[in-house]
Amino acid sequence: MKRIIIFILPIVLMTACVESLDNWNVDQKKATVVPPRTLFTNALKGIIDVVTTPNVNTNNFRMFVQYWATTTYLDEPRYNMTQRLYSQNQWYAAYRDALVDLKEAKRLINNDETLAPDLKANQLALVEIAEVYCWNFLVTTFGDVPYSEALDPNNVLPAYDDAATIYSDLLTRLDGAIASIKTTAGTFTNSNDVIYNGSAAKWIKFGNSLKLRMGMLLADVDAGKAKTLVEQAVAGGVITDNADRARFPYISAPPNNNPVSANLNPLFSSREDFVMASTIIDAMNDREDPRRQFYFTQVDGEYVGGNYGFSNAYADFSHVSAKIIEPTFEGLFMDASEVNFFLAEAAERGFIGGGAAAAAGYYNEAVEQSIIYWGGTQADADTYLARTDVAYATAAGDWKEKIGTQKWIALNNRGWDSWTEWRRLDFPKLSPPSGPSIPTALTIPNRMIYPVIEQTVNGAQWSTAAGRYNADSPAAKLFWDAN
Amino acid sequence: MRRILLGCLVTVFTFCAADVLAQRSVTGRVTSAEDGSGLPGVNVVVKGSTSGTVTDVDGSYSLSVPEGGNVLVFTFIGLKSQEIDIAGRAVVDANMEADVTQLSEVVVTALGIERNKNELGYAAQQVGGDKITAARGTNFVNSLSGKVSGVDIKASNTMGGSTNVVIRGYKSLTNSNQALFVIDGIPVTNATTNTNAQQTGGVGVDYGNAAQDINPDNIASVNVLKGAAATALYGSRAANGVIMITTKKGRKNSFDVVVNSGLTWGQIDKSTYVKYQKEYGGGYLPRFGANRTFDDGSLPTPVYGDDASYGPKFDGQPVYHWDALDPASPNFHKSRPWVAAANDPANSYFETAVTSSQSVGISAGTDKTTYKVGYTRVDEKGMLPNSTIDRNMFNFTASTELIKKMTLTTSANYTNIQGVGRYGTGYNGRNPNQTFRQWWQTNVDIKEQREAYFRNRQNVTWNWNAAATGPLYSDNPYWSRYENYSNDSRDHFFGYASLNYEITPWLSVLGRAAYDGTQDFQEERVAVGSAGTSSYSRYDRSYSEQNYDLMFTVKKKLGEDFSFNGLIGTNLRRTKTEAIRASTNGGLVVPRLYSLSNSLSPINPPTEDYIREGVDGIFADLTFGYKELAYIEGTVRRDQSTALPAAHDSYWYYSGAANFVFSEVIDADWLSNGKVRANYAEVGNAGQPLAVYDVYDKPTGIGSIPLFSLPNTKNNADLKPERTKSWEVGVEADFLDNRVGVDLTYYESRSLDQILNVTVSGATGYTGKWVNSGEISNKGIEASLYVVPVQTNDFSWTVNFNFTRNRNLVVDLYGEGTGEVTNYPLGVSSVQGGVSFNAAKGYPFGVIRGKDFVYTNGERTVNSAGYYQTTTASNVIIGNAMPDWIGGINNSLSYKGVALSFLVDIRRGGNVWSLDQWYGEATGLYPESVGLNDRGVDKRTPVDEGGGILLPGVQADGSANTVYGEAQDGDGQLPFGYAANGYSGAPHSWYVYDASYVKLREATITYSLPVAALGLSKAFKAIDVSLIGRNLWIIDKKMKYSDPEDGLSSGNYNISGYQSGAYPMLRSYGFNVKLTF
Repeated sequence: MKRIIIFILPIVLMTACVESLDNWNVDQKKATVVPPRTLFTNALKGIIDVVTTPNVNTNNFRMFVQYWATTTYLDEPRYNMTQRLYSQNQWYAAYRDALVDLKEAKRLINNDETLAPDLKANQLALVEIAEVYCWNFLVTTFGDVPYSEALDPNNVLPAYDDAATIYSDLLTRLDGAIASIKTTAGTFTNSNDVIYNGSAAKWIKFGNSLKLRMGMLLADVDAGKAKTLVEQAVAGGVITDNADRARFPYISAPPNNNPVSANLNPLFSSREDFVMASTIIDAMNDREDPRRQFYFTQVDGEYVGGNYGFSNAYADFSHVSAKIIEPTFEGLFMDASEVNFFLAEAAERGFIGGGAAAAAGYYNEAVEQSIIYWGGTQADADTYLARTDVAYATAAGDWKEKIGTQKWIALNNRGWDSWTEWRRLDFPKLSPPSGPSIPTALTIPNRMIYPVIEQTVNGAQWSTAAGRYNADSPAAKLFWDAN
Repeated sequence: MRRILLGCLVTVFTFCAADVLAQRSVTGRVTSAEDGSGLPGVNVVVKGSTSGTVTDVDGSYSLSVPEGGNVLVFTFIGLKSQEIDIAGRAVVDANMEADVTQLSEVVVTALGIERNKNELGYAAQQVGGDKITAARGTNFVNSLSGKVSGVDIKASNTMGGSTNVVIRGYKSLTNSNQALFVIDGIPVTNATTNTNAQQTGGVGVDYGNAAQDINPDNIASVNVLKGAAATALYGSRAANGVIMITTKKGRKNSFDVVVNSGLTWGQIDKSTYVKYQKEYGGGYLPRFGANRTFDDGSLPTPVYGDDASYGPKFDGQPVYHWDALDPASPNFHKSRPWVAAANDPANSYFETAVTSSQSVGISAGTDKTTYKVGYTRVDEKGMLPNSTIDRNMFNFTASTELIKKMTLTTSANYTNIQGVGRYGTGYNGRNPNQTFRQWWQTNVDIKEQREAYFRNRQNVTWNWNAAATGPLYSDNPYWSRYENYSNDSRDHFFGYASLNYEITPWLSVLGRAAYDGTQDFQEERVAVGSAGTSSYSRYDRSYSEQNYDLMFTVKKKLGEDFSFNGLIGTNLRRTKTEAIRASTNGGLVVPRLYSLSNSLSPINPPTEDYIREGVDGIFADLTFGYKELAYIEGTVRRDQSTALPAAHDSYWYYSGAANFVFSEVIDADWLSNGKVRANYAEVGNAGQPLAVYDVYDKPTGIGSIPLFSLPNTKNNADLKPERTKSWEVGVEADFLDNRVGVDLTYYESRSLDQILNVTVSGATGYTGKWVNSGEISNKGIEASLYVVPVQTNDFSWTVNFNFTRNRNLVVDLYGEGTGEVTNYPLGVSSVQGGVSFNAAKGYPFGVIRGKDFVYTNGERTVNSAGYYQTTTASNVIIGNAMPDWIGGINNSLSYKGVALSFLVDIRRGGNVWSLDQWYGEATGLYPESVGLNDRGVDKRTPVDEGGGILLPGVQADGSANTVYGEAQDGDGQLPFGYAANGYSGAPHSWYVYDASYVKLREATITYSLPVAALGLSKAFKAIDVSLIGRNLWIIDKKMKYSDPEDGLSSGNYNISGYQSGAYPMLRSYGFNVKLTF
């Protein structure tokens, strides 16, 4: 028997039964408690990255509006949406990289009993505005999306909600958020309010500017409602000075450098996939636009655009400028130029007073702010606005064409925003590539198709939604895109 | 539970305290009359008593003989029984006639327990060590291919790459499907350290898996336990079957030294590589780029940036090739004719692979002690430039009788592997096949690329960027190998100490402590001047597993007719993985300095892993036998794991098996041996650690502004153990004095309540979620057959057949009713090329989805441009990677001292989707894109000049296709691949291939020198000289230009059936000399 003990003893000595290993299944290298402000900032980065990046796997909107053309690979400029996963990556960016973190931030803020009530209200309002921005991105990109059943891991097959219904709810939520901000209190600490660094007042302006944008989106389908929204937004104060613009401060070190630099700066990539499209370059050459030097590089002292939708030799055409591929170049949620273009349009539509005369003023302000933002001078702006093909009184076309064209020029480098404005205003006139090598007629997309993965994992809900868009067709128009 | 165990143990002690009456001890060894080898499993009984034992693996036995016992009876099925008088003798050896039959061997079963095969109620197939090492492969796992039924082995063609080993089909939807490796009863790691990206076809290097650290020269035998009944004692981790390895051990009173020395050479099998067309050169459009003016005047230049071969026709006109821009080249600023390259990658890039393998093994023993010491060194040089792996493997095992009936066995094994330049895999610039198979100019001479690199060791590429300052997409392929290489090392230590005490002749106890640990270190680099950002990254990983076992075994005759074997024991297991992966950020400052401190931007926090699991198990096994006629066995085990929530962290599993040796009751000359068997088992599984409690991810902060984020996968605090239920029936029989034998098994298994990381709609805010759900079933037939057509004194010929047919079905996924998930993608939602690999309800695991042809009356439909129409839906099922059946045929012939053996390995059915063809056909590399069409005009000529391609099929109205499609690229005037249809893409299903093959896997000729006749017997016991060959010949395959067997990697992501930058098969041959002293 003694010998048996030789066996049992060591086993007994080293036996630590698993019940005493409670923490073994908790990841020791990851946090279980975090400050909500860190989730808020992360969400802002998640959404601004997808809006800003030119990565062909994520965002090809600069091609949809013909700012950029490609050198070799023609899938994206010919609107092949299934060869790569950019639809899916946009979906993931909004839901997984932004909205779910915002929802979690809200939960944590609400649970914090030590937070001063005004500060808590402000933080919740900021999160709400950020949420509205993200939902607005989804709804204006895809149309119907999961909303009321979204962001719930217990419901893995969320139904898609009607886009117009979501939109109404977003506007209500935005109103609530704006109303609840107390300018006497701060926002998030430790610089986690990367947009306004603690200024609650500026968040009110951002909120109202977003409301202005969302109101204008309804202009063609519900002018009455649009008018009310625009009036309220303007009364509440919008971003009319670029010092108040909503921007995301990228830094030089990856992965928080500007995603344009990550994809195009020779520091980070040797690829030569893109040249500037002749569509935008010709339009700006015609007007001797002072922003060209800030937008593009030159070829033998000229700005030369490539043929959109066909292959182009990289060396023969202008590229995106050194300014835009700077790692620290900021990302933009909204700026003053954009707001002034909306105001010009609102004046023309009679949503705000002043008529065409007021519209001309806002138009001039918008163009001037854009030129100065990009690095031009007041003199550059004055000269430009004095041109007959630029001046509001003499430029070609009706107010839609005038505003649409100049807004398209000003929104260069903001492909997604520009695509939405192009769909809404239908100017400038853009044509899809055509020719004998393109066997089927192409249409510039009016919406993004749903991610293929929604077909495979959320098939029943997907098919209901897809059915509303002619079998998930990118040509189908969204509810606000009346003409 | 522990109390119940203690209770059981106490009962067993009380039970055994009774009889200590042994009078004297007899030892001896039973050998085969045929070849003198030890015979395991022989029953040795004292006549007229119940005392008896069974010989061990060496044929040795030791037995207590009671007073009055004078005669020992040696019995063994298939051998003549012997009775030997033992009066006055302490050592009694026996020599038994007839050969060892397939059925009646001793096999090593779960936990290292030796059992007579006739007692087993489940399938177990054993392969001798000599069969594994015959062809001197460096990875013994690959040597099992075709030799065992029920096992699907897929080796990759990379040097030292990982091997996929799946037994009886894929059972887990998202966890590992790899078999468990067990050495001498103790599990050892077969982990792969490959990244997720590597396993799903992205950037990465295949570092191989750890089972290849096992020294093949140290293997005595490999036993494959296929079903859950066989492996239930290992519980959860053995749900995918077990590869049991028994190592060589010393024998008592012996001294042997074995030296092996071998060398093999390998060259690529060109039928598995690209055949380049020689008519058109670099470019997408059939024209040159702008002229350049150099020494020979203003001449055209190829479009260096176009990595395709749809350029101008080779007409011999002078042009400025890429080397005209290389100041160090003799062709600097000089023109050369526009012709196809004299040396293309298929002919001139791959080098002769050389493997040198040297080993020495000493096994010896005294009366009390046996030991075995081995050392093997393998130096491998791969087919790619700058690729080597060096392996050093040490083994030591000793066993000694400390005091009477108490044996201490210790084993220590150490393997060190050093790799340099392991092959990049997948869609990756560091995989030369991405360039050579997909994006290449046929005018580029690979030997000139080599010279261009070696002149100054600069990145002189053929693929200049627009400013000709560096590479656009592709580095010089030699720069890539000599500058952007990886290096790695792994130290693998495995050892155990076990103490066995024979309390009484029928009761013994075993205590065992085992340790298995690996230390991995990997470095990857991208040099300054390469395409893409320069970088350096390192990965440090340590893994350890400790196992502590205590087992009591009972072996008792109950009267004349009944026998009883019992086992009760406990197992404690602790595993721990610690890993850290760090890389530079934004580039390197100083060229060719590879350290984290050389980072241009501040480095991002490294990724840290700290994963632990503890499992406490208790188990019992009872076997009753009636004569040697029938046996029934039952096992039960309970595990408690830290990987599950406390509420349900423990789970039971059990098995029952029965067999009946019908040859005992059928008295027929033609039947040598026969039995039927059946079993049922249920096995639980805990899943992987860290899937229960929620945590946050920590993205890199924006400067000093911190960020946190919810993770992509939602954990689940309600996880329960998953279960596999299985049953099998089988029959084994040998006929005509063991000239013919068959072993047939039918099995079914259902794996349910799987712990799955399911892909969920991104609208949940997550992309994955851990759940308990899903069910996969596997049903299959395994058959092994041997025939000995000729057996004379001088000549024998044996044929072994193995056949496996598994039918796999995804029965259920997740959710019910309208909320049912009927499909989800594996690994990643879609791989490069736009296809996906999925688990789809009602289909076999791993179906391939993509765009299909549009069929009209069953015919492929072409559009108005003469190209194939594709479905709009991109998730049509277009293929499935599971084979219809696999098999092997091995012939062994021996004539006097010469033995010839060759193995044919067969795989039938299953699909591969090829990214290589998807891109490579769209870039015009292959002969199909050139030549004359059926009108006798060059296909690349415009259709209105008589060119183009007439695709077989019908037009939309159902009439036969008469529309010629343009077959020149540029702006999408092409029927092929990704660029077809104006860049809408061709049907993905066009690039699905039948993965069938028939390969001559191994062939060896061994000549055993007649040592005595040569007068060398004083120095040598034996000298064997072998000529060996591996992968000598692909007898048949359906897939052109590639080896259908090549895949990405083993691992959890389960993407098989996808080729991206596939490596060609290496055909190797060589010799080995084995000296036994």
